[in-house]
Amino acid sequence: MRILSNITYRFEVFAAIFTNIIILVASVFLWQTAYNGISQVESFTLKEIVTYTVLSILLGSVYITDVQNTIYYRIREGKIVTDFFRPIPLLTSYLADDIGSSISALVNRVLPLFLFASLVFGPPLPATWVSFLLFIPSCILGYAILWLLSALVGLTAFWVMELGNLGMVKDSIVRVLSGSIVPLWFFPDGIQKVSAYLPFQYTYQAPLSIYIGAASSNKALVGMGIQCIWIILLTLLLAAAWKRTKSKTLIQGG
Amino acid sequence: MIAEMKHYGSVAYCFARLAIQRQLEYPLFLVSWFLMIPIQYFSGIWMIQIIVERFQALKGWEFPELAFIYGLALLSHGLLVVFFINTWHMDHMVIEGLFDRLLLRPMSVFFQLVASYVNFIGLVDLIPGIIIFLYACNAVGFDWTFINICKLISVIIGGVLLRAALFIALGSISFWTKRNSSTVSFALTILDRVTMYPITLYPYLVQVLFTFILPIGFISFYPAADFLQQDAPFHLPLNMAIWSPLIGILCFSLSLLVFKLGMKHYESSGS
Repeated sequence: MRILSNITYRFEVFAAIFTNIIILVASVFLWQTAYNGISQVESFTLKEIVTYTVLSILLGSVYITDVQNTIYYRIREGKIVTDFFRPIPLLTSYLADDIGSSISALVNRVLPLFLFASLVFGPPLPATWVSFLLFIPSCILGYAILWLLSALVGLTAFWVMELGNLGMVKDSIVRVLSGSIVPLWFFPDGIQKVSAYLPFQYTYQAPLSIYIGAASSNKALVGMGIQCIWIILLTLLLAAAWKRTKSKTLIQGG
Repeated sequence: MIAEMKHYGSVAYCFARLAIQRQLEYPLFLVSWFLMIPIQYFSGIWMIQIIVERFQALKGWEFPELAFIYGLALLSHGLLVVFFINTWHMDHMVIEGLFDRLLLRPMSVFFQLVASYVNFIGLVDLIPGIIIFLYACNAVGFDWTFINICKLISVIIGGVLLRAALFIALGSISFWTKRNSSTVSFALTILDRVTMYPITLYPYLVQVLFTFILPIGFISFYPAADFLQQDAPFHLPLNMAIWSPLIGILCFSLSLLVFKLGMKHYESSGS
């Protein structure tokens, strides 16, 4: 029995990696078919777009923002009360949880995926060393934006009690407007203009365009500036929402 | 015989009523599905449209034809979600001991498993499917003759059976191993990628795999290739669309065999 359950547990981890591999392979074949006989579109070559896609899937497996579900389940099970007694602020402890999962995902999800992609499609290398060095901080800022969005959605659980799949609604909007599947450069112009004023493209597309060299160093720094502005705005919003939510919970608890 | 059928029918009706009542309990839950499913599938087809417009037709498939595959795939997916969703949670039922309850009742276990949860919310999955499919039919000038309608219905039924067979077989693994929840999302991903795009995008070996070994190419690709007279990688005797219900029934029966075999091995998890 013990052996069986161990095998199954390992099987679960492999199944998660294989799911990502299938998404990766299928997306690359889709781009290869789209590029068949065309050298570049909107000044992007197939190689750049493949690197973009591979890195986007890698980012997707590191960007772990379980905070919305954590809040939801803790409220449903009534455990949120004990969390309030912890010596550190509630949201900070959830952030620490998520960062921990993200770091462990670097080893057990990103590494195998990166090796697989390198073997099958050639290593997805950054355009230059500078772009790689700029890519890292931009990723971290992108993660912060994504986490704040998740926390805001999670807070609504305090008000409505049954969050349902509101988190997944947010996720599907992010998936499209962040340029994680199809880069926004290929979108109709109107949508590109609107999305420049939304936070979503600063989660995936901003770091990824730095990585493949589509954004010059100057542009990269401007992009990071905008990321910081979004982080400040969303943090203020979260703090305000948190203050109101907290008093509401305390009243319920009393 | 007839009395027994009637009995099964009335039980199924009762189960369905309970399931619907249970799901209507949380309105926001329903609303969130109403938002999420259409966003997910409409954005999926929109991505394909953007790629085809900026680049080119994919292996000779223009956008309306790609929408035809996508819509057809979504129809069988939606019906699966309505009628067979319980097959996704078999490992949960085994671990929680819910299966023991089914075994105690004097009815077919498989019938109870499927009938006990008619997923009313799954109807939401059908909405984008119907819209995309009707749009595509209009755009490619689908001929709504009596024969074509019969073919279409049998293809959709075949597609549902094929999908269900995959999940029943995977779910039955949990009789032996107790856990297999991630294989469900694994299977869903494969089904998405194979049924919503032409399988000619993939290398030859993958096409062989999804035609002869794990025949999910017959859920939407081969029927669509037949209706739209597109090139298919393999030429089979008989009309392509006829194969879908045949293979569907065959795979479904095989998966029931696996299910029965698994039941013999089933031991309660003791919880």
